[in-house]
Amino acid sequence: MRVSVRQENLAKGLSIVGKAVENRPTLPVLSNILLSTEDARLKLAAMDMSLGMSITCWIGAKVDQPGAITLPSRTLADLVNNLSPERVDLLLDKATQTINVRCGATVSNIKGIDASEFPLIPENTQGDVVVSGQVLKEMISQTVFAAAKEDNRPILTGVYTEFNGNMMTMAAADGYRLAVRTTEIEQRFDKKVFLVIPARALAEVARIISDEDEEVSITLPGERDLVLFHMKNTNVSSQLLEGKFPDFGAIIPRSYNTSSVVYTSDLLRACKRAEIFARDAAGSAQLIVKPPKGPGEPGEVVLVGKSSERGDNTGMIDASVEGEPLETSFNVKYLIDALNVISDERVVLQSSGSANPGVLRPENRDDFVYIVMPMATQR
Amino acid sequence: MPIHVLADQVVAQIAAGEVIERPSSVIKELVENALDAGASNIRISVDGGGRRMMRVSDDGYGITTSEVELAFARHATSKLQTADDLSHIQTLGFRGEALASIASVSHVTVTTRHRDEASGTQMRLEGGRIDTRRSVGAPAGTVITVENLFYNTPARFKFLKAENTEKRQIAIVVNRYAIAYPHVRFFLEQDEREVFRSSGSGELADVLVAALGLDTFRDMLEISGQDEAGQISVYGYTSAPHMHRADRSRIMLFVNGRWVQDTSLSYAVVQAYHTFLMTGRYPSAVLMISLPPQEVDVNVHPTKAEVRFQNPNAIFSVIQRAVRRTIIDLAQTPSLHTPGRASGDGQWTRPSDDSRRAMQMGMDLRLESPGQFPHQRPRHDYENTERDSTAIPYGPTGPERPRTLPMLRVIGQVGASYIVTEGPAGMYLIDQHAAHERILYEQFMADYAKQGTIAQYTLSTQTIELPAPEAHLIEENLDALQAVGFGLESFGTNTFLIRSVPAMLSDHSPVEVIGGIINELEIGKEPGQATIEEKIIKRVCRHAAVKAGTVLSHDEMQSIIRQLERCDSPHTCPHGRPTMLHMSGDQLAREFGRK
Repeated sequence: MRVSVRQENLAKGLSIVGKAVENRPTLPVLSNILLSTEDARLKLAAMDMSLGMSITCWIGAKVDQPGAITLPSRTLADLVNNLSPERVDLLLDKATQTINVRCGATVSNIKGIDASEFPLIPENTQGDVVVSGQVLKEMISQTVFAAAKEDNRPILTGVYTEFNGNMMTMAAADGYRLAVRTTEIEQRFDKKVFLVIPARALAEVARIISDEDEEVSITLPGERDLVLFHMKNTNVSSQLLEGKFPDFGAIIPRSYNTSSVVYTSDLLRACKRAEIFARDAAGSAQLIVKPPKGPGEPGEVVLVGKSSERGDNTGMIDASVEGEPLETSFNVKYLIDALNVISDERVVLQSSGSANPGVLRPENRDDFVYIVMPMATQR
Repeated sequence: MPIHVLADQVVAQIAAGEVIERPSSVIKELVENALDAGASNIRISVDGGGRRMMRVSDDGYGITTSEVELAFARHATSKLQTADDLSHIQTLGFRGEALASIASVSHVTVTTRHRDEASGTQMRLEGGRIDTRRSVGAPAGTVITVENLFYNTPARFKFLKAENTEKRQIAIVVNRYAIAYPHVRFFLEQDEREVFRSSGSGELADVLVAALGLDTFRDMLEISGQDEAGQISVYGYTSAPHMHRADRSRIMLFVNGRWVQDTSLSYAVVQAYHTFLMTGRYPSAVLMISLPPQEVDVNVHPTKAEVRFQNPNAIFSVIQRAVRRTIIDLAQTPSLHTPGRASGDGQWTRPSDDSRRAMQMGMDLRLESPGQFPHQRPRHDYENTERDSTAIPYGPTGPERPRTLPMLRVIGQVGASYIVTEGPAGMYLIDQHAAHERILYEQFMADYAKQGTIAQYTLSTQTIELPAPEAHLIEENLDALQAVGFGLESFGTNTFLIRSVPAMLSDHSPVEVIGGIINELEIGKEPGQATIEEKIIKRVCRHAAVKAGTVLSHDEMQSIIRQLERCDSPHTCPHGRPTMLHMSGDQLAREFGRK
């Protein structure tokens, strides 16, 4: 193999695929990155077997002699990041499986492992669904944070993804909160298709989607239990989670007694202040909604974080309130997580009382809804 | 007082005291009779935990009209003729005491028809005396209804436990017989609610799924074994080593279809797990032991819960070998790679050849000591401490609680499990899990006393299914669980919906914690012990505390130590294990030969 690439391209490619390299892999070859020539491009690929995720990335190259090799990810990335932004020449010595890296006046040799030992990377197939890159990125960021971090209920570490009619839905829940986001797509699905994709893999997809990616196409699972995301020059494949995702439709409340509209940034800042003190109380902060005292007057949302040892914080936010007064408690961290991913100016907060779930959604939009279960003080 | 012979009724009541201890003993005797009568369907209905009414219906042979009265006489039985028969007894009963004893302390109605007779008999007895007797039409088999148990022995009645406890005992007894007789269909209802049902398919596995729950059964391994002569054989299921509990109560032994308690044989099972289980943890097992009837003496104990073997060592070794073989076979299968759990390994990798050969020369700077003054120590970026996965709360900073330990300086962590600290009197090694457990426990108890444990409501998508006895236990303690933050709601037979969990535990699996709580509730209920709430809290704290094997940042360690310094009893964890080891300066000097 004899290939020449630009240092910037190689460094960028390595940082993208590096996210799919396991920390402590069972097979030594999995701590390596696969480099292989494909037409006039160099393919970089890495696979994380424990997550069932692989990332493949193509960079422009001048291929003099085709070939393939796997190289230790850390060593290669650390080296390339410290090269000057020039042309990098890679030359493989087949006999010793060593690659000679030349860039300007530096020469390095990196020992690799035969490419045939690397597991098969899913083929680059035609996508089944095309989604706008920016929309997909937003959908993922608005759901992925609500997926469970602990794997005591493995199915909840994934994001439920459904295609039905010309709607696409993503939903994630961790037992205490639920985030659901929908969007319209161009294709029509006469039969409902649904899959549960590990949140870790989706987070990578969202990270990789850049402003240039106008469209992302998705290959739905065929014979293998795999989903594939095709971005410009990059593919992410992931195994699916098996199991039944809870029926979240039943959890979303249909009615409410109190509804308040507040500025997103006001509420977020109030939450962050309350959180400083609420930490000692397992994140539990009190949320009080006061309807207007009379016509023409504003309503109010009050957020209280209390620590018996360190003190407390009370934040008052102007709000337009409809319905009954409300006093409830939420884990503020859960509120902050959701407010962080809502870019709309104002949000609606709805609830039917202190034992009922709270509903958070952007004002005048019904494609994103966030359900958070309250906290209570017992006895 | 002159000596005189006791009246029959008194004799019967005294005898009943041995056999009939509580409602579940009645169920036991009646179920045994049904089984001895060759029944293939046994239906048990209980009201009010057995105080109000217990009814056992079977489709066995039935009793002939001429023998019905005799059946209730003392020492009357069809199962035994001569004393010799005792040595090769095949039936469950043989003493001829059960019916007489039950009848002497309750109101009994028996309806029975023998298979070969055209009409049946109904007889009513009160305190052992026949009240009415008439001929009735009835299906083949026997139905015995026992009402007002212990109505004439107030002392016994007073000693009955709470209704739920008796219910649980009955469920346990029925479970045991269902396991021993997989080909018989059992049905148990309590207060007109179905509690347990076995299919009668003849497969032990089917019954175990019904009796222990699918989750438990999934982790059990089939075992079987025999001695050389083929006389003694063992068959059954035993738990995989990763599933263990705090007591031996789940080791169930059946000898020739008879449930027995035998310390030596359950020890054989535990012994087979040697080195696979921690001390103080025990496996679950269901073992069917079959051996020739003359090899075992069942006439040792009035309720026959204990038996004697002619050759106990042979049985011991058959069991031990069979279980051990299965466990070892399992242990040898390569385990699948589990996704990156936090563990201490990898921290201790050997330096590679290169780094050993190449040495970094040190520069002799003659520091007084590394980091004696605060500004010499590395600064910690407080922005980055938002690692909420370990959720160690920021400790109290004010002096409102008195210090119970001297000021300790954190030096570092050993093996991702112990914190090394220095105090005025030498070195302290602190067990991070035990220490955090103590901190959480005192916090939780303080909150609890102030009426403020915090519960996090769940999306109500998770249910927990339990075997009947455990479900009763949970039902009994619903209020206590609620007070601590576990909102559980009955959701069909033996199933509960989890509505809320203690906020402290929101990162943990509630099902696992509840399993642990049941375990703890099952073992000890001795008087004078900690309240149930305290027990639950202890269990909750154990799950919420940082685990051994978790790498902690300097700030996290600092936070644990600061909080521990102000605990009421910082030296032990809530379960009584020590939280710290102390090595004084003198001791260190002695160890190094300086004194």
